[in-house]
Amino acid sequence: MNEGPTVFQRRIVIGAGLCVLAFALVGMRLVHVTLLQPLDGSRPALAIAARADLTDRNGELLARDLPVKDLYARPQVFWDKDQAARDLARATGAGEGRLLKGFHNAKSPYVLVARQITPDVEARVMALGLPGLEFEQGAKRFYPDGRNTAQVLGVTDPDGAGVSGLELGLQDALRRAPGGQVATSLDMRVQFIVADELAKARAKFRANAAGAIVMDVKSGEVLALVSLPDFDPNLRKILEGDSTRNIMAQDVYELGSIFKIFTFAMALEDKTVRPDEVLPTPPGYKIGRFTIREAHHMPSAMAAKDILAQSSNVGTLQIALRSGGARQREFLSSLGLLSPLKTNLPETSRPLFPTRQWATAETATVSYGHGISVSPLTFTAALATVVNGGRRIVPTFARQADGSDRRGEQVVSEATSLKMRDLLRYVVTNGTGRNADVVGYDVGGKTGTAEVPGPNGRYIRNALRSSFAAVFPAHNPRYVVMVLMDQPKATKDTFGFATAGYTAAPQTGRIIQRIAPLLGVPNTAPPTRLAGGNS
Amino acid sequence: MVRVLNFFCVALMGLSILGLYHVSEKTRVTQVELARVERQIAQERTNLSVLETEWQHVASPERIQRLAVARLGMADNASVQLASFDMLPRRGAGEDSAPLNNAPIRNASVQVPGHAQPAAPEAAQAATPVAHTSISDLITDSGM
Repeated sequence: MNEGPTVFQRRIVIGAGLCVLAFALVGMRLVHVTLLQPLDGSRPALAIAARADLTDRNGELLARDLPVKDLYARPQVFWDKDQAARDLARATGAGEGRLLKGFHNAKSPYVLVARQITPDVEARVMALGLPGLEFEQGAKRFYPDGRNTAQVLGVTDPDGAGVSGLELGLQDALRRAPGGQVATSLDMRVQFIVADELAKARAKFRANAAGAIVMDVKSGEVLALVSLPDFDPNLRKILEGDSTRNIMAQDVYELGSIFKIFTFAMALEDKTVRPDEVLPTPPGYKIGRFTIREAHHMPSAMAAKDILAQSSNVGTLQIALRSGGARQREFLSSLGLLSPLKTNLPETSRPLFPTRQWATAETATVSYGHGISVSPLTFTAALATVVNGGRRIVPTFARQADGSDRRGEQVVSEATSLKMRDLLRYVVTNGTGRNADVVGYDVGGKTGTAEVPGPNGRYIRNALRSSFAAVFPAHNPRYVVMVLMDQPKATKDTFGFATAGYTAAPQTGRIIQRIAPLLGVPNTAPPTRLAGGNS
Repeated sequence: MVRVLNFFCVALMGLSILGLYHVSEKTRVTQVELARVERQIAQERTNLSVLETEWQHVASPERIQRLAVARLGMADNASVQLASFDMLPRRGAGEDSAPLNNAPIRNASVQVPGHAQPAAPEAAQAATPVAHTSISDLITDSGM
């Protein structure tokens, strides 16, 4: 007899089936949770960091968010509000008057005592044993290299937003990766050397201000930018004598004779002059009712290359007049000298140049760097364009790949660029730039000394702005260096001169001497046989 | 048979409940432990971050130079190139082709004239000691 399962048996089977199904589901879930669900292996970002670190091109730390705390108080729980205000003011450095006013103000349940307190201040506050104190975790931007990088890196506000320098310029990248790293083009070693040399030079010549830039001519990477006076970015206070103004990017100057580089580049490009061509150089050159004079005595006639080497205004203006004002304006514009420079640095400036008319007088004065004002950073970029093979380069403060070539359109021909390198080397070997020469590093460059205009627009007598623009190695350029000193004073060592050849040029040489070995620039000096050596 | 099956199912259910509870409890404890370890890791990372920053500060070129001058009596001499790779003999080249054989050699102790000599030991002793600074000293209170 084949009787089917009873109702009771069927129910048991169904129940058992449901149990098996339930256990199967639990088992599947267990397998999923324990074996299949991937573990979160990514490193959690630092809870305190609101911004990424800033590093130099070699990964050295330039800026980082560090943990600090904001201290709040609930004054209604204090037994003695006056005593609490006194104790907290002493422990944190906060204003006692402000705390007293806040504690006695019935409308505010919370009073901010101090922001961004350090662990030792926190310990002092805890030792007071006051009730009603609350700490809120926060972050403070810290700059390990302090003043050395202050002007170029800038600072953040207490809420962690960039307010100047690369902190503002690279804001988006820094906020995209909190706890990560954003690499800049700066080289801390070079930045320190430039800052060190510039500080010494500023003290020696008692200059009002000084600045320097080191830039790669092919990638446009700025390896160092220093502007003095500076400030301590970790203090968040501007002390006496400090300044937050980046004179190399924010200010425009009449740079004087270093502008002759562009006049010669234009003339060589237009083939209106040959380096060996002899031109008359009288003591004065009359244009309309103005007479343009030399800054110092010159021979009555000079070869064009000596006009640049000895920095003759009269010779240079004659060369510029051969090309004419319209061409000069077009040429300077093609080098980017007539428009604001756009880089990662938010600090920028609009060049000043003749806008109403660019006639003979303007052409003449612009040819030797007067009547036109540009920022030193703009000038450095234009110089790099002239010597890097003639292709436009825009400075960048973001790290580029090693050996990268960011050169753009051809502005001057390769041939002109080669001739300009020779001429700049000639200025250092035979001209006003002798004090910038560094044995073995083939330095080329040009001096520039301009009088400083006063508040009434007239030039101040004996107030000079000295600058030196260098390129090294001159015959295969890798870097340009620009040094500027505002109103340096003559010393006994400079024989009473405060011109660029005695102030900015030797400092540029010192900078190149120290940074060239670090940057791997080969020294081409012929080996010397030592007396008594075992050769 | 049915009873055996029922007993087996109930026993299996009981064991599963116990097992599941055990796993659940173990998971909870592990999660607590994980959270504790993660907090510890985050704290260590924060400490590491502070230490890295402090290291960067104490190893900055400016401080090293100051210490080298004050404690070691070193002076800021210009660097001199001693040799270049071009001067090295090529591998497998004959003796005649080895450039080092006849090339003049530059002395490692050469001084560039016109620069400061190292300070005398007495001067180094008398130099102001450079105090150690910690990161706490540097993260100053911004005031209000």
